[in-house]
Amino acid sequence: MLSMKNISKVFKTDLVETHALRDFNLEVNEGEFVAVTGPSGSGKTTFLNIAGLLEGFTHGDYFLDGVNISNLSDNKSAVIRNEKIGFIFQGFNLISDLNLAENVEVPLRYRGFSAKERKVRVERALEQVGLAARMKHLPTQLSGGQQQRVAIARALAGEPRFLLADEPTGNLDSLMARQVMELLEDINKAGTTIIMVTHDAELARRAQRNIQIVDGQVCDFTMYQSGQTDNKTQSIADAVSVA
Amino acid sequence: MFFYYLDLAWRSIKKTPFLSLLMVLAISIGIGITITTLNVYKMASINPAGERSSQLFAVQLMSQDNNFWETINEQITYQDAYNLSKSKVPVRQAAMFRTGLAVQTEDVNVSPILESVRVTEGDFFALFDVPFAYGGRWDKLVDEEGGYKVVINEELNQEVFGGGDSVGKTLLLNRKPYQVVGVIEKWNPSPKYYDVNNGAFNDSARVYVPFSLAPIEEYESWGNNQSWRHEDIRTYQDRLNSEMHWLQYWVELDTPAKKQEYQQWLAAYVEQQKLIGRFKRADAHGEISDVAQWLNFNNVVPEDNKVLVGLSVLFLVVCLVNMLGLLLAKFLKRAPEVGVRRAIGASRLQIFSQHIVEVGLIGFCGGALGLLWAWAALYFLSSKFELEASLAQLDQSMWVIAPVIAVSAAIIAGIYPAWRICSTNPSVYLKSQ
Repeated sequence: MLSMKNISKVFKTDLVETHALRDFNLEVNEGEFVAVTGPSGSGKTTFLNIAGLLEGFTHGDYFLDGVNISNLSDNKSAVIRNEKIGFIFQGFNLISDLNLAENVEVPLRYRGFSAKERKVRVERALEQVGLAARMKHLPTQLSGGQQQRVAIARALAGEPRFLLADEPTGNLDSLMARQVMELLEDINKAGTTIIMVTHDAELARRAQRNIQIVDGQVCDFTMYQSGQTDNKTQSIADAVSVA
Repeated sequence: MFFYYLDLAWRSIKKTPFLSLLMVLAISIGIGITITTLNVYKMASINPAGERSSQLFAVQLMSQDNNFWETINEQITYQDAYNLSKSKVPVRQAAMFRTGLAVQTEDVNVSPILESVRVTEGDFFALFDVPFAYGGRWDKLVDEEGGYKVVINEELNQEVFGGGDSVGKTLLLNRKPYQVVGVIEKWNPSPKYYDVNNGAFNDSARVYVPFSLAPIEEYESWGNNQSWRHEDIRTYQDRLNSEMHWLQYWVELDTPAKKQEYQQWLAAYVEQQKLIGRFKRADAHGEISDVAQWLNFNNVVPEDNKVLVGLSVLFLVVCLVNMLGLLLAKFLKRAPEVGVRRAIGASRLQIFSQHIVEVGLIGFCGGALGLLWAWAALYFLSSKFELEASLAQLDQSMWVIAPVIAVSAAIIAGIYPAWRICSTNPSVYLKSQ
């Protein structure tokens, strides 16, 4: 479903070149729940931004559903983001002026759904996260966990093929985090592919597959542990385990 | 999506009321000043003759001797008016001038009123499409032989007779009885193109008397009297025989052929006058100008007005530059929200459109407030600086022009801020929110 081959991303200034990703390779299959971990500055967020078509990359190929999405126009990228990808952020990123229903409705507006269709989808998504009764509330009237559930509802309303979650529990206490994680697991069981960046090792373990990003390169621990890895991944994994 | 963007725009305005108010004020002041000057310019530029503009012609004669006046005068002499009236070419024609008479009725209890009066010929009314409420023009015989007939307007009719059909009633002008033959409806062309010498934006006369009575009643001229040479004018007959330019003369030529024929007739008349030694200069000639040309010739819309409109537009530009800065600050502050919208599927074009609609709404509010400023400014100008009432009237077209200019100008000012906000990289803000 998602295939990144030799992706590299270089940030350039007049004086410095920073390699955020280098020869980054990753395959994610449909229905997988992949947890991405790694130290700060390793390139996790850059990977997520590229996967979510929010940023371009310097070299390599990126295939989404078999379509090479390198050099897509802004409009086409926006359409793919809207139709196929759902985002969940650490800071929830709800729009404070809009009530819950209006927040969930935003991606549906850009997709051009009718008012009737939007209403049905918004209600369904909010019911799924258990907040249908509070759809007229403003985000500021909710707890952090509830806000994150609204963000998940917003991501789900468009019925995306996969969800990109950037530390979805990072701002939540452990109870809330567990609830959100359970919700993500349910969503994954329903068939949605999830890629989740997290610092929380316990949460990462609950995913089907763990990958670690170190210095802009990927190290697939699941494959490493099963002995199905190449030399480069192995050397990175060794280095990480030694450290 | 337009209504969605409109809803978002309204929420945004409510969210930052002070900043939004500043922007609305900035554009409204620019629009208010622009609309004020534009309104004065437009009202001064109106061609009140409408469709007949190209059929009505003012007649001028370059009749002065050499070394006097290098331009053609806008009025003609009585001798020329008398001679021109002999032409059979025009469909209608009328000589005219302005005088003043004491108006009263036979009712001794009514005090006399000093009125500005137009002395003219019967064709005047059809020539300028003057509408009658009662009666009509005086007979042609009156134009030839004289007759104490008068046409008044409805307002005066109301004042002196209490309104209604006053045809046949007697009005005393300088204590002489004149029979009312017609009452005209409200008629006040602005500019008063048939006589721009006596206040182009003054009201039309309320009383009209036959030109044929001028030699008999010796009406004084209350208008401009221009002589290019010294003449010893002691009697009214001296004035009539003089080379003084004091009369306006209009003809109606309803086809291009008629116009050409009249120009030939006029050229022949000038040649005849040269032959008898009255017109001495080699370049003596006659000219006819339709209404638009006539207003232009008389500089009814002064160049100053155009300069003022230009300056006010420059002021509007300054207001827009201020607005641009405020918009930039407002929009960039919203970059995190835009980042979210971009992440969940909004294209650059959709973000751009959302912000342009917001700018348009601010412009529309500014335009509406600007109209109020313009109305207040015109009221102030007319009350404090005696701006003519016809110029101080807010033209109906401004109700459309002001919002259109305001919205267009605001959108132009908003293009750069909207482009900046839609070009920001969303990923920068998603993590930092």
